[in-house]
Amino acid sequence: MNNIVVFEGFSNVLLEVAISLLPLIIIFLLFQFLLLKLPLEEIKRLVIGMCLSFAGLSLFLQGVQIGFLPAGTSLGEQLGKLDYNWVVILIGFLLGLVTVIAEPLVRVLNYEVEKVSAGHISQRLMMYTLAIGVSIAVAVAMARIIYGIPLLYILAPGYLLALILIRYTSPTFVPVAFDSGTVVTGPMTATFILALAVGVASGTAGRDPLLDGFGLVAIVALAPVLSVLLLGFIYGERGVEDEDR
Amino acid sequence: MDDLKDVAKEVLSSTLPIVVMVVLCQFIFFENPGNMVIQFIIGAIMVTLGLGLFLIGVKIGLLPLGEAIGAELPQRGSVIILLLAMLFIGIAVTVAEPQVNILANQFEYVSGGSIPKYLLISFVAAGIGLFFTIATARVLLNIPMKHILTAGYLLVFILAAFVPPSFLPISFDAGGVTTGPLTVPFIIALGVGLTSVLGGKSSMSDSFGFLALVLIGPILAVMLLGVIYG
Repeated sequence: MNNIVVFEGFSNVLLEVAISLLPLIIIFLLFQFLLLKLPLEEIKRLVIGMCLSFAGLSLFLQGVQIGFLPAGTSLGEQLGKLDYNWVVILIGFLLGLVTVIAEPLVRVLNYEVEKVSAGHISQRLMMYTLAIGVSIAVAVAMARIIYGIPLLYILAPGYLLALILIRYTSPTFVPVAFDSGTVVTGPMTATFILALAVGVASGTAGRDPLLDGFGLVAIVALAPVLSVLLLGFIYGERGVEDEDR
Repeated sequence: MDDLKDVAKEVLSSTLPIVVMVVLCQFIFFENPGNMVIQFIIGAIMVTLGLGLFLIGVKIGLLPLGEAIGAELPQRGSVIILLLAMLFIGIAVTVAEPQVNILANQFEYVSGGSIPKYLLISFVAAGIGLFFTIATARVLLNIPMKHILTAGYLLVFILAAFVPPSFLPISFDAGGVTTGPLTVPFIIALGVGLTSVLGGKSSMSDSFGFLALVLIGPILAVMLLGVIYG
């Protein structure tokens, strides 16, 4: 960590982002010529948009790689060595909270939810709900590493609870709840929180960093499913949106 | 210009909390965090700029594109064309994710090379395509999401009982790797666009759910491979 790195490995990041953009470009061209036939003005906007998302995502991922990944790892190792390692649970909670807020796809989902619900479910409300879910999940995941709780003991009751909750929550929220599991495990969480967890596992005696680090993403993905379903339960009681589906 | 100001505000409010929190932790838990903090701040500046560009790009590029395609497809009159087109889109946008290739390599390792890479990738693709089509059919037929999710996850946990334990974690991971930061906004918008035309009684419960189902497809596909070959 003595040398500051900025653009090391950037070409790899650019290549990966380009590869995942490629099918979208192909679909765009295909549909543009066969079906859409959008006017030139709109094409220009779309192309500019795609270029910006390409540049933005590449820069974002590179920043995560050189900044957040090493910070997460070193912090995790340091925390794992502490005598009073229950502190990790508290810090996990707080870091979970601030990580969701910085997760790019969370913004995108919340934006679409606010738009489609015509403002009924605001971006702010969604963000609070997701943040509470994820921060509890990260705290649980840290506790799992420290006390060696098997992954299935967390996932099985969690999914069971989710399947029970979908019977009683407002149907409006069910698809969004399960979609949000995907967006909270975006590039920020999957790198920074994962690095933190692997760091804690390698600092804690008797833990296998590889085995105990994994499973974190699965726990984090489950959390917002539960918290959004609960939000729907509260909303559904009030009868704000359609219930009879 | 107001837009730009809004984006700047949004981006700063999203990255500032984590940056403050991490730097604080670095000062508390390390004796001499100097270089570490500088390295982190450089990364954080790139993340902040990148997030801003990404969000603007998504709003003027990927979301309108997904919504336009989603809204156009049902107007071609044929349900079969709609389902086939969705099958194609579902497979095309997810299988190209760089992480799918990484997963395939891990899988070859877990299975001791007995299952070739292309077989895993075709299974994952089939799983995604199938569930993407189910997600579309669900909107057409007005089937509540909870029935499909309950059936899907029950199947996952039943299969889990038969899958060799070494395949289990990789199966669950398979769900997450197929959706990257560029495809997710596109898939969300596709659902929103599709429903704006097909829309049942509630656009909220129809517009979303595509991502959720795209998650289940690959999990089932990889588990099935594990059961067959394990």
